[in-house]
Amino acid sequence: MGVFVFLPLVLPLTAWPIARLAEQHLHPRTATRLLTAVAATMAVCSTVCLGLVMVVGTAQLPGNPLPDGWSDPEVREAVPYDEVAGKAAIPALCAVLMACGRTFWRHARVRRRAHRALAGLRDAEVAVLPDDVPYAYALPGGRRDRVVVTTALLDCLEPAERRALFAHERAHLAGRHHRFLLAVQLAARANPFLRPLRTAVAYTAERWADEDAARAVGSRRTVAYAIGRAALASRGTPVVTLAGFAATGPVPRRVAALLGPAPAVRRWPSVFTSVGLATWGAAVGAAVSAMSSANSAVTMVLILHAATPL
Amino acid sequence: MAERQRPRRRGQGELEALVLSALRDADAPATAGWVQERLGQDLAYTTVITILTRLLAKGAVTRERAGRSFVWTPASDHAGLAAHKMRRVLDAESDREAVLASFVTGLGPDDERLLRELLGQSRSERED
Repeated sequence: MGVFVFLPLVLPLTAWPIARLAEQHLHPRTATRLLTAVAATMAVCSTVCLGLVMVVGTAQLPGNPLPDGWSDPEVREAVPYDEVAGKAAIPALCAVLMACGRTFWRHARVRRRAHRALAGLRDAEVAVLPDDVPYAYALPGGRRDRVVVTTALLDCLEPAERRALFAHERAHLAGRHHRFLLAVQLAARANPFLRPLRTAVAYTAERWADEDAARAVGSRRTVAYAIGRAALASRGTPVVTLAGFAATGPVPRRVAALLGPAPAVRRWPSVFTSVGLATWGAAVGAAVSAMSSANSAVTMVLILHAATPL
Repeated sequence: MAERQRPRRRGQGELEALVLSALRDADAPATAGWVQERLGQDLAYTTVITILTRLLAKGAVTRERAGRSFVWTPASDHAGLAAHKMRRVLDAESDREAVLASFVTGLGPDDERLLRELLGQSRSERED
């Protein structure tokens, strides 16, 4: 398998161009799905390869429980620079698994606690909380999906804008956007090169809900105003907890996008544009990633099978 | 059987809500013993005291001394209690990762000016 085993670790770099270009050139729904699929594929492949290299690394350690044949020179030759790479892969894989486990656990904990906080309320889809901090979010799962919104936020919106807000949160719930967000968060944990995709998907998922809300209320301008007002009302509030990417200023970009023309729903962009090249680059990167990790896995199984005395 | 299992399955949040509604049903400040009787389930007196103390910490009830014990008065409704708890959940996640997709995220230093410009422009276009 040679250097192919290392390819999936760096191939996420091929997705960087599309992570940058997707938000302007693709429909947010297409962008979210594409980027999440690419991120998930690359993360799985990169982790599989890390695991393969780790097997070689662990086999060198004295006193390991693996079969003796696994530390044979033939096995070690399968991975270039096996001494360094094998040993480095052990802490790397442990770090990846721990970080992913922590992210997943935290995600489940926040959702569980938020549902528990609403336990005493009427079992309605919208939970209005009397609070002077303006915030709103979609809370999936539990006994039922809920939209949580505070009176402070509702007070600063006009009736049409409130409808836009509810439509936005319902779009998150109906589209199961939390699954995309969780998938890219886990992927970014599995391979740090996938972090730009996490940032991009966090943005495109919001844009997706914005566009759905605009269709539901029949006015893109109303949604833009709702977002703008809500953001201005909640500036300086301590709810940075939900702000995943405040530094890049996503709110003005969302408002500007809504005030501009509606995005075209194109299935697959032409190869001869920059966004087409970027899309195909990411798709080819994901495919090569999948092929080299599959190739490495099969090779490794064959080598280990040959090396194991039965 | 099912009857006996129910109190055990109930979460803390649900018990707090039950105690709060019992207090809200009372005409006057009530004692913990009254709440316990009112709920009429096999809740221990100490459990009721624990829940009342927790509600006190959340500002959902107030208490004053009457003789040798306390009498309790509700200070907020269920929505107020839920709002308080939700804030605690959100404040505990001081991480910059978005677990829940929120409607708006924070504004950077230049974002506010940019946003006002965008909304202002759009408004003047509409008026033209």
